[in-house]
Amino acid sequence: MSTAPPVLGVDVGGTNTDAVIMVGDNVIAAAKRSTTADVGEGLIEAVRAVLEAARMSPASLSTVMIGTTQFINAFVQRRDLTEVAAVRIGLPMTDGIPPMVGWPDDLIKVVGNHGYLVGGGSFYDGREYERLDTAALQQAARDIRAKNIRSIALTAVFAPVRPDIEQKAAEIILSVHPEADITLSSDVGGIGLVDRENAALINASLRQLSRKVVTSLRDALGRLGVNAPIYLSQNDGTLVSTTYATRFPIVTCSAGPTNSIRGAAFLTGLQDAIVMDIGGTTTDLGFLVRGFPRETATAHLIGGVRTNFRMPDVLSIALGGGTHVRGSADQVLLGPDSVGFELTRRALVFGGRDLTTTDIAVRAGQATIGDKSRVSSLDDRLVNAVLNRIHTQIEDGIDQMKTSSLPVPVILVGGGNILLSRPLRGTSKVHRPEHADVANAVGAAISMVSGRVDRLFDFAVGREKALEQAKEEARSAALAAGAEPESIEIVELTELPMTHMRTTAVQVKVRAVGRLRVGGAA
Amino acid sequence: MYTITSDLDVRDMARGAVLLGSGGGGDPYVGELYLRNQLMEGRCPTIIKASELADDAFVVSIAGVGAPTVIVEHLVSTLTLLRLLEASEKFYGRKIDALISAEIGGVNSMFPLALGTRAGIPVIDGDGMGRAFPHLEMTTFGVYGCAATPSVLMDDSGNVVHVHTTTNRIAEDVVRSVCASLGSMIFGSFYPMSGRQVKQLTVHDTVTHTLEIGRRIRAARESQLDPVKGVLQFLDAPDEGRYARELFNGRITDVLHETRDGWHWGRVLISSGAGVEPEFRVEIQNEYLVARHHGRTVAIVPDLIAILDAESAEPLTAEMLAYGQRVRVIGYSAAPIMRRAECLKVFGPRLFGLDEDFRPVEELVAAP
Repeated sequence: MSTAPPVLGVDVGGTNTDAVIMVGDNVIAAAKRSTTADVGEGLIEAVRAVLEAARMSPASLSTVMIGTTQFINAFVQRRDLTEVAAVRIGLPMTDGIPPMVGWPDDLIKVVGNHGYLVGGGSFYDGREYERLDTAALQQAARDIRAKNIRSIALTAVFAPVRPDIEQKAAEIILSVHPEADITLSSDVGGIGLVDRENAALINASLRQLSRKVVTSLRDALGRLGVNAPIYLSQNDGTLVSTTYATRFPIVTCSAGPTNSIRGAAFLTGLQDAIVMDIGGTTTDLGFLVRGFPRETATAHLIGGVRTNFRMPDVLSIALGGGTHVRGSADQVLLGPDSVGFELTRRALVFGGRDLTTTDIAVRAGQATIGDKSRVSSLDDRLVNAVLNRIHTQIEDGIDQMKTSSLPVPVILVGGGNILLSRPLRGTSKVHRPEHADVANAVGAAISMVSGRVDRLFDFAVGREKALEQAKEEARSAALAAGAEPESIEIVELTELPMTHMRTTAVQVKVRAVGRLRVGGAA
Repeated sequence: MYTITSDLDVRDMARGAVLLGSGGGGDPYVGELYLRNQLMEGRCPTIIKASELADDAFVVSIAGVGAPTVIVEHLVSTLTLLRLLEASEKFYGRKIDALISAEIGGVNSMFPLALGTRAGIPVIDGDGMGRAFPHLEMTTFGVYGCAATPSVLMDDSGNVVHVHTTTNRIAEDVVRSVCASLGSMIFGSFYPMSGRQVKQLTVHDTVTHTLEIGRRIRAARESQLDPVKGVLQFLDAPDEGRYARELFNGRITDVLHETRDGWHWGRVLISSGAGVEPEFRVEIQNEYLVARHHGRTVAIVPDLIAILDAESAEPLTAEMLAYGQRVRVIGYSAAPIMRRAECLKVFGPRLFGLDEDFRPVEELVAAP
């Protein structure tokens, strides 16, 4: 019997709010309820249900960890966003590409197009090529204030190397426009000015909503009598405080798939595996490396805007339990369309008229749902051909996600896992863990804390010395985020040398993670 | 003569420029955004054929020189481009009638269009490489006697450097050093030429080619056709002296990158999954240099090698390659002018340290 204090993990998704209570490594109870428009009511329902199932009092919970897709959904649907101003410190550079070039029109309509370019910025080696133009910055701040805009994204050239330039500029803006709510680009992105500025702008447009949502979640838990500290999951599967999340909602944008991947990992005890979430319409594959989701290397679009923001590398295949089956045994056509959430009405086994992959699975005896007799006349050859195709598509997806040719274990979550019955090429074992349907809430409940560095280091001091400094900065950041000092480890280290130039500057990305300190962040 | 008026065309050109980059040349994203912004402000690029030029017209190449990591932060300054134009006209002592790209593959396809659009100067439908190369001297302009200098270099702070060297190879070294001293990103005017020279020394129609390639890929995607086949059908036009072959279809099993002496070296292994060992290998030196199938050369510089995403036919630069990607590799003949003996002495296989002679891709693929 474990003596660890119970923790509450919650996933506030677009459709469902899931809650789990965990004590140590054990899932004590789980509950699933519908998400409500104000998120608070759905949260109360789910938490109340899980507390009842666990026979626990709200006061006994030691920590609450929440993952939510509210912010990404709002941005993609262009709702609840605020107008923003983009202030860039770059002149005499960058003027040929003003802020928000290439943004979708429907988004510009909502957030406005208020760009300001002022003098200042640094080279890759940190030398300032131009002093910060204080007068121009003050003028911009006055103009923004006159337009009644509070949300500002502030971006300076090579800010990842010289974040202090943005910090100083923010002070100047605040001295003129005390109501300003400023996102610094160096807080939300790495090298690549346009992508980093975009991330800062997205963040600025979401800040007001994030305060509302976080307040709603806090109030709901307060009303239930939960007094434990509350954290939110971020994209890389580690935690941030609610205060931090209200300032940087963008860091929580992709927490959904991350928590699902990490939860699946936890439920099986695996550290390195492919996690496959087979839903009704798609199969999402993620890659777990040392307990964390692998992240994308290339630019990532959020709601039609290119960013270099870190996101889990998820491959979506148009294949799920509701995927349409057409053609004959000699020429099977799978989807890509699906009956989706109407599966229980439209699939043959549920009395519908659409032949779906679920019907094939039932006919093959892989699942016992619906009315089996409705699919008994399906041709054996067709069934076999469809199963072949399903397995091939999944195997191709696994192949694409792998980083070496060695076989890897696969963890299967989501209702569509009935589609698979055979061993999968390129895999060592297929796991189907208990509680797989609430894997994302479990993922939230087991989150750790992290610290990151992504900037240029000068290797002239020696590679080892420079890397050690980078690691130390990441460790300090993890400590500041609330990690137990002894538990901090470096989980990721990437070096990207500058090509085309004989220089000793190297872009280094480091990530350190650790267990959450009891009592939380400093 | 024609003008580009649609945002979609600019994006197509950028995609086509990546394919012609043969893996290198830098991501044209920054240039693409610049042009899209110009279109939004109501300015459109004008493209003219070399044959439309008067023999005594004055033409220069505009190029950005620098590290890809730096370009994505410094972006492009309109003021710098206009100042460069002004300083160049003053330096050369005459009005510039048209601009030309020295390198159509990658980001330098875009900078002459950027300045041309902003300043209202036409851009020649052609360039000096028909692809991307790592050095300034590796152009048809240079091979046929045009000097890369005198040249005007400028950074965004207004520093101006005039370069006048005895050879184009030395110009390459000097320009690279100046660039390093000025924050690793500069713009310059190179290869001042007469209209008559442009007609004789250029790889023709390559600007239009980037647009057509990008369009083909997009159209094939939208019509649910195989986009790789779509682009192959377009590229392979023996009547016009162009040959394109699909060299391999497989999955990347290993990518090696390293930086030595400021250049990007590497190799990529691709496997069909049939055997244990990957059958296909592409050597990288900033660009894709040589492709070998079971050790046998099937395409070699200056012919182009393009690695495309197998599904979308999106051309991939060397930096974008990663383990597990499904890719299709295309070999594409360099323009006939690029395959002449005098050109191979400047950018043939041996100039990249390869111990073999150039052979055309259409012969290599047909050989037993």
